Amino acid sequence: MQQLEPYWGRRALDFVDAIEATDSFAGVVTQFEKIIGDLGFHAYIMARIPSSGESLVQSTVANGWPAQWFELYNRENFKAVDPIPRHCFNTLNPFEWKDVPYDREREPAAHKVMMRARDFGLNEGFCIPIHYDDATAAVSIAGQRPYLDAETRSALHLVGVFTHSRLRALARPAVALPARRLNEIEAEVLRWAARGKTAWETGQILRLSERTVRWHLEEAQRKLMTKNKTATVALALVNGEINL
Amino acid sequence: MPDIHVVRKDNRHLYEAYFDPYFRLRHEIYVKQRKWMALERPDGREIDQFDTEEAVYLFCIENNQLIGAMRAVPTLMPTLMSELFPHLNLRGPIHRSDVYELSRIFVIPERRGEHAGPRIDMLLLTAIMEYGLSTGLTGFSIVLESWWLPRFERCGWKAHPLGVPHMMDGMSVLAVLVDCDEGTWTTLCSQIGLSRPVLTWRGLTGVSRRSLPDISTRVQPAAQQAQ
Repeated sequence: MQQLEPYWGRRALDFVDAIEATDSFAGVVTQFEKIIGDLGFHAYIMARIPSSGESLVQSTVANGWPAQWFELYNRENFKAVDPIPRHCFNTLNPFEWKDVPYDREREPAAHKVMMRARDFGLNEGFCIPIHYDDATAAVSIAGQRPYLDAETRSALHLVGVFTHSRLRALARPAVALPARRLNEIEAEVLRWAARGKTAWETGQILRLSERTVRWHLEEAQRKLMTKNKTATVALALVNGEINL
Repeated sequence: MPDIHVVRKDNRHLYEAYFDPYFRLRHEIYVKQRKWMALERPDGREIDQFDTEEAVYLFCIENNQLIGAMRAVPTLMPTLMSELFPHLNLRGPIHRSDVYELSRIFVIPERRGEHAGPRIDMLLLTAIMEYGLSTGLTGFSIVLESWWLPRFERCGWKAHPLGVPHMMDGMSVLAVLVDCDEGTWTTLCSQIGLSRPVLTWRGLTGVSRRSLPDISTRVQPAAQQAQ
């Protein structure tokens, strides 16, 4: 086992400690820009990899691309041909841009994206895929001649994963539970519906008119985008909006 | 829902029948599927130097079949991290009575990614927190594949890195220390729909432990009005 001089390893650990103690999104971003800057990276993006019907703008967590590159990338819909996000689905490990597999002859559009990036000083890059059960995200960083070796790749891997996680936590509303869509009264009428009460019975229990109960049920149905009362109750239970 | 049993030296005799299938499953998963060939043994049972008397196992059992498991080893004794991967830990060795090291966390392939009922991996992650809280632990050290980190984050496990990731056999791994606290446990329970502790402590009446409370759910207002 190769023993590495752990200077960058220690820097990365100190960095993680520092961002865990930082409570502002901007504060974390500043520290991230500093540490990657010290390794020769001047640009970055952190985003969930957009599905085909979605734009990169919608799925971005933090955007540190040159503004013109980001604009060009979206205008030309480069996400459809960029080989880097595609490769994120195929690997668990971080990789350098130069190692991303694509066929120059048969995929000229992929090659074009890689070449156009150079016009913005994005000559060499490093990409860290982040896999969730239901989505894949990535932290991708680039520069003209960044300092990449086994030690700095390890350090950047740690920095990337923990920055992404910290920024997601800070971007989230204060409550840690999944975002709730129903208000308290809508949840309340659904709880009674889940127990088999009719709208009239629920109205008697909650001292509301039957019409008001129906209105709240319909609001819940609209918010959860379901088709009927049974489906609304089922989805609310699954999502944890109500419990039995 | 399957049961999660605490198995330690005090009650191991009650679970003897499960140990042979347990070690064979480990061989199947870690040697045959994941190709950790250093662990290969001719008898098809994966047992290592950390399977000592002091090791604690969580066995996830359904219809008398082992469907998942996890091992916890006291950090006052030799561990994977201290003996095999010390270079993964830049913060200095952990030898603490209140920290155990987790390893060999698995779910049999047939039971992965289920959607009916709590997922077995989440159940195990919740159960080990319950074990730690019950027995006075404050943390777990783990050597794990780096791609697990976002999953920990999503389920509420707070992982502090002890070093940077290293490539080993083509896979990025790192060492972390995870907090064992009541907040993590209750968050996990509410995520997977548990309202009370789930561990089975058969034959462990002599073990001193704190009993954990039921977790209050949001249904209470409606329940009160019904009375």
